Amino acid sequence: MKAFEYATAHSTDSARQLVAYKGAYLAGGNDLLGLLKEYLVSPNILVNIKSLPGLDKIERGGKIWTIGSLVTVAQIEDDAEVKKVFPGLHEAASEVASQQIRNVATVSGNLAQHSRCWYFRHRDTVCLKKNGDLCYARNGENRYHSLFTGNPCISPVVSSLATIFTTLDATAIVLRDGKETRMSMAELYQRAWENPLAHNSLNNGDLILRVEIPTTRSRSAYMQISDKHAFDWALVSCAAAAEVVDGKLKSPRVALGSISPVPHQVEAANSFLDGKILDDATASQAADLILKDAKPLEHNAYKMPMAHALIRRTLLKLKGDA
Amino acid sequence: MSSWPTETKYISHSTARIDAPAKLTGQAHYSSDIQASGWLYGMILRSKWPAAKILSVNLEAALKIPGIKAAVTVKDFPQTIRYYGEEIAAVAGTSKQACLDALRTIEVQAEPRHEFVVREDDAKKENSPPVWEGAANASAPHVRENGSVDTAFPECAAVIEGFYTTPVQIHHPMETHGNTVSWTDEGVTAWASTQGISSVRDGLAGALQLDHSKVRVITEYMGGGFGAKFGAGVEGVLAAKLSREAKAPVRLMLTRFDQALAVGNRPSSFQKIKIGATADGILHAFEAENYGTAGIGGGGDAGGGGGGADIPMPYIYKVPNTRVKQSSVAVNAGSARAFRAPGNPPASFGMESAMDDLAVKLGMDPLELRLKNDPSEIRQREYKLGAEKFGWKQKYQKPGSSPGVVKTGIGCAGAAWPAGGASKSTQGEAQINPDGSIEFRLGVQDIGTGTRTVIAVVAAEILGLKPEQITVRVGDTNFPPGPGSGGSTTCASISPTVFDVCTKALEQLQTQTGVPDAHGENWFAACKKLGVSPLVVHGQWQQGLSADHACGVQFAEVEVDTETGLVTVKKILGVHDCGLIVNKITLESQINGGIIMGLGYALYEERVMDNLSGVVLNPNFETYKLPGIADVPDIEIVLINMPERGVIGIGEPATVPTAGAIANAVANAIGVRVSSLPITPAKILAALGKVPPPVNA
Repeated sequence: MKAFEYATAHSTDSARQLVAYKGAYLAGGNDLLGLLKEYLVSPNILVNIKSLPGLDKIERGGKIWTIGSLVTVAQIEDDAEVKKVFPGLHEAASEVASQQIRNVATVSGNLAQHSRCWYFRHRDTVCLKKNGDLCYARNGENRYHSLFTGNPCISPVVSSLATIFTTLDATAIVLRDGKETRMSMAELYQRAWENPLAHNSLNNGDLILRVEIPTTRSRSAYMQISDKHAFDWALVSCAAAAEVVDGKLKSPRVALGSISPVPHQVEAANSFLDGKILDDATASQAADLILKDAKPLEHNAYKMPMAHALIRRTLLKLKGDA
Repeated sequence: MSSWPTETKYISHSTARIDAPAKLTGQAHYSSDIQASGWLYGMILRSKWPAAKILSVNLEAALKIPGIKAAVTVKDFPQTIRYYGEEIAAVAGTSKQACLDALRTIEVQAEPRHEFVVREDDAKKENSPPVWEGAANASAPHVRENGSVDTAFPECAAVIEGFYTTPVQIHHPMETHGNTVSWTDEGVTAWASTQGISSVRDGLAGALQLDHSKVRVITEYMGGGFGAKFGAGVEGVLAAKLSREAKAPVRLMLTRFDQALAVGNRPSSFQKIKIGATADGILHAFEAENYGTAGIGGGGDAGGGGGGADIPMPYIYKVPNTRVKQSSVAVNAGSARAFRAPGNPPASFGMESAMDDLAVKLGMDPLELRLKNDPSEIRQREYKLGAEKFGWKQKYQKPGSSPGVVKTGIGCAGAAWPAGGASKSTQGEAQINPDGSIEFRLGVQDIGTGTRTVIAVVAAEILGLKPEQITVRVGDTNFPPGPGSGGSTTCASISPTVFDVCTKALEQLQTQTGVPDAHGENWFAACKKLGVSPLVVHGQWQQGLSADHACGVQFAEVEVDTETGLVTVKKILGVHDCGLIVNKITLESQINGGIIMGLGYALYEERVMDNLSGVVLNPNFETYKLPGIADVPDIEIVLINMPERGVIGIGEPATVPTAGAIANAVANAIGVRVSSLPITPAKILAALGKVPPPVNA
């Protein structure tokens, strides 16, 4: 990696100032270290934000819960109340990487992590996402890639938390140019849909401060399938959340991860499910809607039946015992 | 002739590794831990092109990087590059970062060749870019024929044809390849992560044009080799050259990235198999056409080292009418090297898959088909014993008949390791001190299998002492020459040698001290009578105490989720033999390791090359997937002790049948065959006909 300066910020203001000259924020460092070692990013300064006050707490509210950006994935996983109030969030957190990584990985780092595409991560390929001329994956080894995209790059978003946050209608509060900006999960990733160079919609210097989750959906679930049984990226992940009133879904949300540059959500599926009593046929119809415009490539079409099954299973988990 | 004792206290029982405390407390120094005084880091610059001509390399800028003490090139120029990752130059410096910085400043003048080939089926084509100039990529097929295949197939009641494929499996021992080398006027000392201290000594001496006596190789502890760590390697020679230039020891351990490119792999296989049997299930005709790649090795007539991609067919079975046609195809990728039971796991997977497919065609229980056809009496015994333990009869269901979405299935497969045996030139010595302490010195290395403990167990048994009273020193070419640890020969080489040393020690103690039986409780009294001089006893491998040809069978039980394609291995039962069991606990440990490695081969491991850029796309453990703890099933091991055969190694047969057994269990569960390793969720879903065709965007 390139030599860099290192500083610890004690306020968000100083963090912003320090990072301004081609700097990078350092929290858990899991993604950053890999990027640095492969020279995929070469910041002049690493700004340690672990000492920023007040960002490492999960705050419980009646209508809104607030999760600080420095809360670790393990903290979420281990929080008994999160498990009760947002079971899907607990499940998503517990599927992230390994225990050691979860212990240091932060919520903001999980959301802001860069593409895992093996062409992007390879030191000797210069792909579209690295300002090159073409997406190697498109006609190459695309088993881990997207079924949907709005641009020639087919690298998918892999954040498990983004998938579940999408269904919980969570909002990321981002410090941008000194002001707090509210972004839905869709907004947080929109740029990656359009622009092959982007991993998300954050600008250089933007700092995620916290995530707000409304408690309107008391049922939520998350599932993923990987090649292996643990410590492996999802081939497809699926989250679902809803309120259930008299056995009927209210304000349901379903989202898929690892199959699009953004958490994949289909409004028509959400509205189709609204007011429905969940059964296999309903879940299956929703899955059809969610996968409707997919464009499978040579090696990733298996994600279609896999996603279909995951959508059905995740939705049916919302039924719980009631 | 010598023979093993029939009543034993330690042999065939379990002694915990004598070096376990050293390993657990970090006192054990692995080759990668060595910190010779004043040592420097070494790192290698590799080709970023899969094919190129390197015209020149300029090291000047690298040498100006602070901390860099030496820089060397690998070859004279022009240098022909034939695969991505081939070594070009190396640097040594006071920090890893200095080396990394230096590598980035090296100017390489190259003419990249845009024509290259990384896929076997492309390389086979007549107009494919030649990996070796002037030679076809595909070798002329080797054909072996017995009986009359063409007349035999029409005589069969059931015939199946299948195309079974296995990927290139990368050598990824937990400790990467590498060494620390110090080259001074006195000679060379290399602390190498190797399976063969003697072969590294000879290799370094040859490459550096030094007398063998001027090269000493030390391997106290090392983290696995599996067939890929016998030679000095490019990294050994480079470390030596850097050391000479820098006048300091150089530690050059490969990175995990390096490891994926250039230290060897198991060749792929593409096996077209046709097999037929009579109505009562007796194999009658067999035809196989196989090709695979050993990377740049084994292609055409140009050779290149690393061996070909041939596999033993029809593996463990005897078929009266056979035709086997095999060839190797060269591709622009790192060369193959011996890999735990070379040729056997792919052969076992292809053949055992075909056997199960044939059993389906015959409407026969696949275990029964094996019992009818397996020529080995030992495996017959093992199948029967295993079937009983496993509950085969109770568990077996017709393929695909398991109810529900998540289906269960069982399968089995057999192993053979016809090589093995012992290195007959193995020697060893023991120094017996007047205080009764005893030290064994053998020029063998412990590659993690428990070699030290085997020596202690055999010595304790024959001398009537306890294993913890035996001091064992191995891994130094200054000791009497020992075997390379490969081909499952180590245990069978050293056990008879230690037996011989002990027998001679007891004889000489009697002669020198007059104590009639120095064994057991008389040991210390006898040793005391040595006076002031220790007794040094030399011994060597003896006939009649070891053998070869281990067998083994394994049974697998799996669950397959037919909606997501996820395979979960629930249980593996291994029934194994290796003659006289020396130390049960380390033997079981090797079988566990073999089964886990076989599971990785079955479900996860695969080198992925990019066709357009020619790079290895998964040079890391993120996407080169290895089994983790959550993937490992309940493993049960049943051992057949055969003291009458003498000592036989187990390392290789333990990993051979696992993939075949798992693949058969998967086919039994879902009712269709996934005929390509690794068996991923994607392939399961495809086999079930659930994957839609791609959409052309």
